[in-house]
Amino acid sequence: MSDTSPSEDAPLVDRIAANPRPALVWVAGFAVLLALEFGALAESLTSPVPWADLYERPAGALGLPAGAVGFVLLASAAVVAGIGFAHYWREGSLRAAGGGALSLLVAVELGIALGGNATIAVTALALLAALALVGTGVARGSPRGAVIGGIALLVGLVGVHAIQPLPTLLTRELIPNQGYEHPDRGWVGPFLGLPPAVAWALRVALVYAYAFALLAWAWRGYNVFREHYRYADWTPRDDMVDRFRNHYWGLFGFVVVFMFVVFAVFAPPIGPTTVERNIMNPYSHELTYWDEAAGGTATITVGDANLGSSSAGNPDRNVGVMQYDEYDRFHPFGTLVSGKDLFTFMAAGARVSLFIGILALGMSGLIAAVLALVTAYYKGVADLLAVIVSDSIQSLPRLLLIILLSVVFAETWLSEVYSGGLLLALIFGATTWPFLWRAVRGPALQVSEQEWIDAARSFGQRPHVTMKKHMAPYIIGYLLVYASLTLGGIIIATAALSFLGVGVSAPTPEWGRAVSDGRSYIATVSWHISTIPGILVVIVVTAFNAFGDGVRDAIDPQSAGGGDAADEAVVAAGGGG
Amino acid sequence: MSRWGYFLRRLLLAVPVVIFGTTITFLILRAGPLDPVSAILGPTGSPQAYNRIQENLGLNKPLWEQYIDFMVSLFTFDLGQSWVINPDTDAYDLILLFAPRTIWLGFWSVLIALFVGIPLGFYAGLHPNTPSDYLASFGGIVWRAMPNFWLAIILVGALGLSGPFGGAWINLGPQTNIIGPPDLGFFSDPLRLLTAPGDTWPDFLAALKKIAPAAVVLGSASMGNEMRIGRTAVLETINSNYVETARAKGVPRRSIVWKHVFRNALIPLVPIITGEAFLLIGGSVIVETVFGINGLGYLFFQAITQGDLPLVGSLMFIFILLLVVVNILQDFLYTIIDPRVGYER
Repeated sequence: MSDTSPSEDAPLVDRIAANPRPALVWVAGFAVLLALEFGALAESLTSPVPWADLYERPAGALGLPAGAVGFVLLASAAVVAGIGFAHYWREGSLRAAGGGALSLLVAVELGIALGGNATIAVTALALLAALALVGTGVARGSPRGAVIGGIALLVGLVGVHAIQPLPTLLTRELIPNQGYEHPDRGWVGPFLGLPPAVAWALRVALVYAYAFALLAWAWRGYNVFREHYRYADWTPRDDMVDRFRNHYWGLFGFVVVFMFVVFAVFAPPIGPTTVERNIMNPYSHELTYWDEAAGGTATITVGDANLGSSSAGNPDRNVGVMQYDEYDRFHPFGTLVSGKDLFTFMAAGARVSLFIGILALGMSGLIAAVLALVTAYYKGVADLLAVIVSDSIQSLPRLLLIILLSVVFAETWLSEVYSGGLLLALIFGATTWPFLWRAVRGPALQVSEQEWIDAARSFGQRPHVTMKKHMAPYIIGYLLVYASLTLGGIIIATAALSFLGVGVSAPTPEWGRAVSDGRSYIATVSWHISTIPGILVVIVVTAFNAFGDGVRDAIDPQSAGGGDAADEAVVAAGGGG
Repeated sequence: MSRWGYFLRRLLLAVPVVIFGTTITFLILRAGPLDPVSAILGPTGSPQAYNRIQENLGLNKPLWEQYIDFMVSLFTFDLGQSWVINPDTDAYDLILLFAPRTIWLGFWSVLIALFVGIPLGFYAGLHPNTPSDYLASFGGIVWRAMPNFWLAIILVGALGLSGPFGGAWINLGPQTNIIGPPDLGFFSDPLRLLTAPGDTWPDFLAALKKIAPAAVVLGSASMGNEMRIGRTAVLETINSNYVETARAKGVPRRSIVWKHVFRNALIPLVPIITGEAFLLIGGSVIVETVFGINGLGYLFFQAITQGDLPLVGSLMFIFILLLVVVNILQDFLYTIIDPRVGYER
């Protein structure tokens, strides 16, 4: 190695410091993309999570005033954050910095939940901490400090957003699609006087353009890292990535999965109307339309308008795919039997499915990975015990067990969180891990037989370090394959449960409920109610399967099915849903 | 370890699995947040009735005593009785009453999956990368991703009374409606199918036609899986060295396919076929609910939603036994078909 470039053992930070330009360009581009949507990001951290429960529940249990408990919690979270940052500042421990940032976020969210001066105080505190961290980082010439300061700054900005909303690019306020058609002046209300269908399509196109830009930028970030900052010219992972890039079936799966995720994450701006306005509380919202008879505008509650736009198999009163209802509202997928907008319902339902799927997978993936590593490392009794426990769980028919659990826990407080979504996610997590564990057990046992594991053991490396450093990277890929298949299965099973009337409770949207609602109208003009959600499930699940196939072929070109195919079949079909 | 040693080990392992699986059921039912007695009584129960049921079920005893009672009675096949669905009826009788329709449904769905999925998969594997292979593979992939409940209601919609093919379906063969349970009266005396074919075969055909749509739905996921795995298995064996040797020796293609490819390609299909049992039991709840077939899945779902927890426990135990037996069967088939078993694992 020459003297000018950093040595091969230099940490990433030093390599970036030696040649900061590509990294800075990438970070600047990323910051721009982030800034465009920061308002939405802050909103999604604050509003869907019941932060107030953090102090209201214990306060209720102890019989103390909620506000006081909240302030105590807020203060302690802030102190923990301070200790974390101080520890990082003195010792450079990244874990302390991460913990500090997390408790700072909790403090800010608690402040927002408490409202009033608490919000302002804690936001000011967070901004000050960010300033101090960035300042010391720059003064010491440590880019890492600046990054941690940047994270603290983002947390502070979440607080700022709660006080004074920050602008967001992709909102329905910027490109509205609701309005009425004036006989002389054309469309009043939608963006630039375009027809609502066009305005809506424009917004959806923008959302997807933004999402794909973000994806492309992330890919560019990986390439920048690979070209400029990675020490090795080649790693086995490069081959996997290349194999995946030439696997068209897998790429198809990836693109569709990505579009599904965007559909779920950007559900509020993508829908032609909002869940709150159209589905949850239609009678608390009003709508202006052009009244032909009166020759002027009139208002009506959304609920009453929905009564007029219902699709229930009557050829004279049906709002089908890509049609307007009589109040000039545009329905890309038509309306439900109740007259609510199916597209909005689907987008919100995708969110629910994705939340359940990811939480359940995170849980069961973690259990499966830890168990696979431990049983492969120690073998013997540990392995036998795990086999018995997982076989026992697998011997209970999966879908029936899930139905049973969701009925048994239906009356508890768990089922109230997120309309039962959290409970379902926990149930899926608890019943899915044996399948994932089975899938990674083979690879884990294989890697545990390797010489380098023996070598690590013989020089006295602690077991958990060996597992983390030398075994885990090998099984992660296999876990990803099964996770992808399982996510498709969870989407099917969630829909099946809401089809049966258990699981996610009404009125929270869930795809299976739309299928169930429209089942009597399949042979009528209102065929869209059941058919569209079903086709979307088929496409999304096929895509998850395709993505899994692509990843499998990328990490292990020799394998082709076989092995644990039966488990795979059960998880991928949602246990028979 | 020898082949039979391996099998014996799997057999022994099944014992703790059944015990532990039943224990999980017990914990969910008795230690869970749902009180079985109030579930049975519903919101309008008097305290006297409550105490009576509690005593009758033995719920006033400590949990560990309940556990021993629960396990002992299940493992001696004393399945208790139903409390809500059909009060004071033995669970045993209920199961006997509901099981035949589920068995009929499961039998045909396994058969459809086997006799459509595997031949299609083998055909695709023997003609790889042809248009018919692509068509079959793509069909299998999409077919596999279709949720049972959706496929079921689409079929009901298309073949039902008001559907586009409703009339055609009703008049096809014996007249039947798509919704409703099949009439399995001829089962009471199966020998009559041979002795008096004129009287019984129409009944048989009617029952078969009645169950066919439900069986297609229930077999759908397995059919797709069998196709996919069958295709890869054939592709793998046909490119192996021993097949090449056979071809070089001049063994005719027909005998290569049947003797060398087919048998070996069956091995990876065994777990798929036995794994169908899992999909069948789960799927039967949905399919039987949609098609209005009062079988075991329907019974289980009604028992759960109506709070008949004692019956739920008994049914769960039966399902566990069934699945464990199927698993043992899978190991048995493995031991017979694949001589390498026990050596490589």
